[in-house]
Amino acid sequence: MRRDLISIDDLTLAELNDYLGFAARVESMSETDKVTLLRGKVLAVMFFEPSTRTRLSFETAMQRLGGGVVGFSDILATSVKKGESFLDTIRTVECYSDVLVCRHPKEGTARLATEVSRIPVINAGDGTNQHPTQTLLDLYTLQKFFGKIDGLKISFAGDLKYSRTVHSLLHALMKYEGVEFILASPELLELPEYLKLEARRRGHTLHETRDLMEAVRGADCLYMTRIQQERFPDPIEYDMVKGAYVLNAAMLRGCPAHFKVLHPLPRLNEIATDVDATRHAGYFEQVLNGVYMRQAILLDVLEVTL
Amino acid sequence: MSDARHPDSDDRRESDRRTTELIPKIEQGIVIDHIPAGRGVHVLAAVRGYPGMENTLISVGLNYASTKLGKKDILKLSTTNMPDEVIEHVALVAPRVSIKRICDYQVDKKYVIEFPQTISNKLRCRNSNCITNYEDRVTTVFRCFDSMTRQVKCGHCERIFFLDELDLIRATD
Repeated sequence: MRRDLISIDDLTLAELNDYLGFAARVESMSETDKVTLLRGKVLAVMFFEPSTRTRLSFETAMQRLGGGVVGFSDILATSVKKGESFLDTIRTVECYSDVLVCRHPKEGTARLATEVSRIPVINAGDGTNQHPTQTLLDLYTLQKFFGKIDGLKISFAGDLKYSRTVHSLLHALMKYEGVEFILASPELLELPEYLKLEARRRGHTLHETRDLMEAVRGADCLYMTRIQQERFPDPIEYDMVKGAYVLNAAMLRGCPAHFKVLHPLPRLNEIATDVDATRHAGYFEQVLNGVYMRQAILLDVLEVTL
Repeated sequence: MSDARHPDSDDRRESDRRTTELIPKIEQGIVIDHIPAGRGVHVLAAVRGYPGMENTLISVGLNYASTKLGKKDILKLSTTNMPDEVIEHVALVAPRVSIKRICDYQVDKKYVIEFPQTISNKLRCRNSNCITNYEDRVTTVFRCFDSMTRQVKCGHCERIFFLDELDLIRATD
């Protein structure tokens, strides 16, 4: 059966852990050994909205496995601009490639692509819904930092309403035992009610706060997100809120040694640059982990075993 | 326990009598029974507009006493042939209703329709940013999330909705 990666919800706990193990094996291999694994294969990157990390990470992952990359990151340069439908674009691009990576501002697009595509589809973000490859790399980062995921106390701060990385990661963490959540956000950007409901139904403890320091104290990890100005109808309201969710090195004094700060990036000012030099900064290692995890995903959907 | 000794038997006989009075027994056709009170009109709306059902005679009874539900609605149809698609539609608007096929005034076949596990191309996603609302010729798929609360999950955008929040796509749409 063709393998796709569309939603974290499609994966069982065992499958999530398989990916973590697979990424660790990929990371342990030499670049010389890896560079022949996908020789002759072509990855199509179809980015209907901007991205830096995800697209470059996939392209790097593919090239370091010996494969080629085609695609676009600006729909203005494609036939979509001429009015071509999404499904026709998929049917066309699949003729040129062995695997598709798709990002789109509308929710459900990657799932829809699987209905017509004959080659594997990987969701690189669909609207505010899912971003499963980011989630897998986040899980891999947590596993590497803490040696486990069960029982961790994880804080999320910033835009919890629209952030698909937060939604996706929460869905995954709900599959693990005893993970506790602290949610710090302005009222306007609270986590959607259906996600809170689902977390509680699955037996997880949720603590909500407006205070960023509450999210720092007592947690193992703080997952920061960017507060997007465009979400606020009133710019004054945005100015009031954005300052309340800025993390700096002074706020991390007294945190236990194992405490880590993660961020899907790009950051604006929500993590001050003085945090970078602390032992708590985990976000650039998170970026590097993204390449290993995406290599594991590409190998998996193309059915290459190590 | 025999019906005569059943504690609710008086209620039931009263209910039967009143049902019979206002909606006479039918010689043949289909009875849609045990519709939660208030949903009878929704079931009627689901049934009457379907292609092939336009000429079916339909009696509607509302607010009958019911030992199971307290109050119930009931529909009687002159046809004995209700397409599966219509039954699926009824299951959406009023789950766990009884369908009885009547032949020669007797119940020939009876079953309860359950809340469907998968609903294909019958509901429109309410998420205005869901791709199913933009791309032509897309079949919507919803899966049962919680049959007790009648919540369903869009197979594309993965949002969870109460069924009553969603618009039905009619066959004629």
